[in-house]
Amino acid sequence: MRAPLSRILRDRVHLGVVLSTVALVVFGGVMVWAATMTMTGHAALVQRQYLGVGIGLIALAVMWVLDYQVLKAWTGPLMVALSLLIISPRIPGLGASVSGATSWLQIGSIRLFQPSEPAKLLFIVVMAAIIAEYGGKLDKTPDILKVVGLASVPLVLILLQPDLGTGMVFVAIASGMLLVGGMKARWFGVFAVAGIVLVLAVFALNSVLVTSMNKPDGVLIKSYQVDRLLVFVDPTRDPKGAGYNLQQSKIAIGSGGLTGAGLGMGSQSRLNFIPERHTDFIFSVLGEQLGFAGAVMLLALYLALMASALSVSASSRDLFGALVAAGLISMWAFQILENMGMTIGMMPITGIPLPFMSYGSSFMVTNLAGVGMLLSIWSRRYGTTTT
Amino acid sequence: MTTFRQLLKGRFAVLGVVVLVALGSLTARLWGMQVLSGSSFAAAAEGNRIREVSLPAARGRILDIKGRPLVTNRPVMAVTAPATISQDTTLVAHLASVIGVPVDEITKRLASYKAERLAPRVLKLDVPMQTAAYLAEHSADFPGVAVEESAVRVYPGGSLAAHVLGYTGEISETQLASGALPDAKIGDIVGKSGVEASYDKVLQGEKGFRRFEVDNQGRVRSVLDEGAPRAGKDIKLTIDRDVQKVTEKALADAIAEAHRQGFTKAKGGAAVVLDVKTGAVVAMASAPTYDPSIFLGGIKQATWDALNAKSSEYPLNNRAIQAAYPPASSFKAVVAMAGLQTGLLTPSTAFNCPGFWTGLGKQWGKWCWDHAGHGTLSLVAAIEQSCDGYFYNVGKRFYQAPGEKLQAFARTLGLGSKLGIDLAGEVAGRVPDAAWKKAYNQNYPEYQQWLPGDTVNMAIGQGDLLVTPLQLASAYAALGNGGIVVRPHVLDAVLAPDGTASVESSVSVVSNAHLTAANLATLRHALVGVTTVGTGRGSFVGFPISVAGKTGTAQVAGKDDYALFACYAPASAPRYAIVVIVEQGGHGGSVAAPAARQIMAKLFGKKYTTIHTTDVSR
Repeated sequence: MRAPLSRILRDRVHLGVVLSTVALVVFGGVMVWAATMTMTGHAALVQRQYLGVGIGLIALAVMWVLDYQVLKAWTGPLMVALSLLIISPRIPGLGASVSGATSWLQIGSIRLFQPSEPAKLLFIVVMAAIIAEYGGKLDKTPDILKVVGLASVPLVLILLQPDLGTGMVFVAIASGMLLVGGMKARWFGVFAVAGIVLVLAVFALNSVLVTSMNKPDGVLIKSYQVDRLLVFVDPTRDPKGAGYNLQQSKIAIGSGGLTGAGLGMGSQSRLNFIPERHTDFIFSVLGEQLGFAGAVMLLALYLALMASALSVSASSRDLFGALVAAGLISMWAFQILENMGMTIGMMPITGIPLPFMSYGSSFMVTNLAGVGMLLSIWSRRYGTTTT
Repeated sequence: MTTFRQLLKGRFAVLGVVVLVALGSLTARLWGMQVLSGSSFAAAAEGNRIREVSLPAARGRILDIKGRPLVTNRPVMAVTAPATISQDTTLVAHLASVIGVPVDEITKRLASYKAERLAPRVLKLDVPMQTAAYLAEHSADFPGVAVEESAVRVYPGGSLAAHVLGYTGEISETQLASGALPDAKIGDIVGKSGVEASYDKVLQGEKGFRRFEVDNQGRVRSVLDEGAPRAGKDIKLTIDRDVQKVTEKALADAIAEAHRQGFTKAKGGAAVVLDVKTGAVVAMASAPTYDPSIFLGGIKQATWDALNAKSSEYPLNNRAIQAAYPPASSFKAVVAMAGLQTGLLTPSTAFNCPGFWTGLGKQWGKWCWDHAGHGTLSLVAAIEQSCDGYFYNVGKRFYQAPGEKLQAFARTLGLGSKLGIDLAGEVAGRVPDAAWKKAYNQNYPEYQQWLPGDTVNMAIGQGDLLVTPLQLASAYAALGNGGIVVRPHVLDAVLAPDGTASVESSVSVVSNAHLTAANLATLRHALVGVTTVGTGRGSFVGFPISVAGKTGTAQVAGKDDYALFACYAPASAPRYAIVVIVEQGGHGGSVAAPAARQIMAKLFGKKYTTIHTTDVSR
């Protein structure tokens, strides 16, 4: 017997998730259009982005329909798939590296996508499956070491790419999921200290290697990454070089004032003063053109999405689903904080885009697929099937 | 199921709080940047976006009293480039060969004045059409390099009146710092000397501006705003081009005559022609001179160095106002008038000149220029013969009389202080007195006492007395016009765009010596005698105008004598005062006086033929 449509909708559609997603996608579409307005190839860029939204909506539908619990059974193969995905740009004939920073998967000359984006979702699923095994009680040392050890495999692989930005997203995802998974506060302390020591050790080793091997571009860490950190600490440093992007971004956002210069207006956006203004620095465009009002609107939409995701997580029928939702929240929260934070000098500059806003199909598809997973968890909160 | 949900409740709360803190801190920071300090960021954005360059105004012309151009402008093509091209050494080298300016000169020009980042630097002014066309055709090879219309000063008379007109050049750091030109910016062309400097504000006009919107590369996207420049005003000088030409020629001829007479060191000199009633400078010459066009587009360092070398005799100096000389015997007219006005002398006062004067005792004895002596002379004859012995006695009288009356009278005639001519650099000269001597020799107590010999020396125009050629001319104008010292000036009028005078110069009285008619007549009689029967007669033989003048031959330590002649004419109704001085030129009567006659011939429309005469007086 088929259930009435209203019942299906009530069961399967989380209004908060759907509405906030629709609003964010529309907002993002408008911002990419506005940011690329004075760029050459404006129309093609907008078209490409909208195509990405289309593919993303298909991915969303697929993930929605798919029973997320199926994924849980495939932990082993998914871990292998994740690792392969991460190292795929390094496989001859498959990979391509654009300006040394973004890695693409491509076959022949056809560029497919950035593997680091779906890797984030895969990482969430794999981590959820691993952590869910412990039933929400993660307090035994061997268990914790095992979970963290398994999480380190993709983390180390992504850091070796090197893809520091995605690595940081992985750390944020793992932290949120370990929190929900039951890891105690003192363990977070232990790992935080260990992480800091490790980072300092890498920096120290890097500087030794730079001098001994005479590679001023950096060995373990790229010199531009060091520059970005130094600029974060002292924004007035090198205003024409590494500090330039930050300075111009801050001028753009600050000059937006309360209501902004208006969509498509604003001299910082129009006259190329904002670097990477349709990708990593799209929020600078938003800040200049729509002002504080537009920024708050965006933050409110993000809050609505994440609050909805939290409600999905809380109503999941199993711990695996709750963890997946928590992983998505962590992913989005961290990327939002890092991306918006870097444009206003609160965070160091990294290549992390802004969810639903930044130009990039792989990124858009990944985020929409994540929304699909939320809806899949929501749809199945009472049982495996409702039809 | 319920168990894991209960376990998770608190953890969701923590996750929720983390998210809220993240979004909250972003909101707080955005509030601070966008709402609280939004205006300062907006100002920074405007600063990014807008660039302003100023548009130079056409400089006003300088005309002579009859409206004939002394300085005008000529449109030229200028090669300009932004400072940024200096990084491209191949481009600079290529450009150097095309426009014919050395690479280091280009680099220097590009490096100059950093204030206006966008303002193109002028690399070469006045390039030929061919070069301009070449650069336009090959513009792809010269990114940033532009050929622009500009204007340069044109001097139709070449070096004519160079010292009065002055020259222009890029404003210097010191001029900028002085604040005298508040609207000036680095790179502006301003007057550096002469009329160009003293009337710079009038000639300069008002700069226009153009505001651009630029992108992050500094490329101009659009012109936002433009204000047209307002051209500078033309000014009309009191200088008469024809008289000026003759005055310069007369001065040059006087120097040549000095050489002919064996005074080969003669190189410098000055000549001034004043209107005795108005103080208008009809002509003003200084030798050696220079060509002001060498400053156009920036003077070459080597040329500048040469102009300022000691061997050059400093051609940039306007000796008529910037050099002070002992007036020598030309001062005797002032001394005589001082004596008459103060009652120390009468027309009939007579002294005996035995050739060697011992009025202050034998050990302080002084020779007259004529060692044979002039015998007993009256005042008029003493002036005609320029008798030193007579004036030694006059000096002694002034010394013995209370209150430094000679100095006081000299000052009333405008000596010892600046007259305030509208040209920069005028010096004050010096009228020495007891107070001055004491202060001057403050480190040498033995020389501080004012001695009878000081006044006696001053009475023949020597000693520490110094006057500028302009002061001497002005004093003679006063001696001719009844004692009124009028401020000398070179500006006749500032012209409105339609050519009518918008500002006219007026007669400004500096001081009045209130000379009595009787005394004026006595002195005129004596000075006319100089040019008819006295030391200047050789130069004025057959001259149809009656000239009241006085020769002078100044002794300067370590140099040949300086030749001077000062006069006013016509003697009965004075119109002009003229002074000619030739440094190391020998005798006033045979070197300076003929030059004065040559100038007067022009002034009064008389024929002049070269005069060779002799004179041994001092």
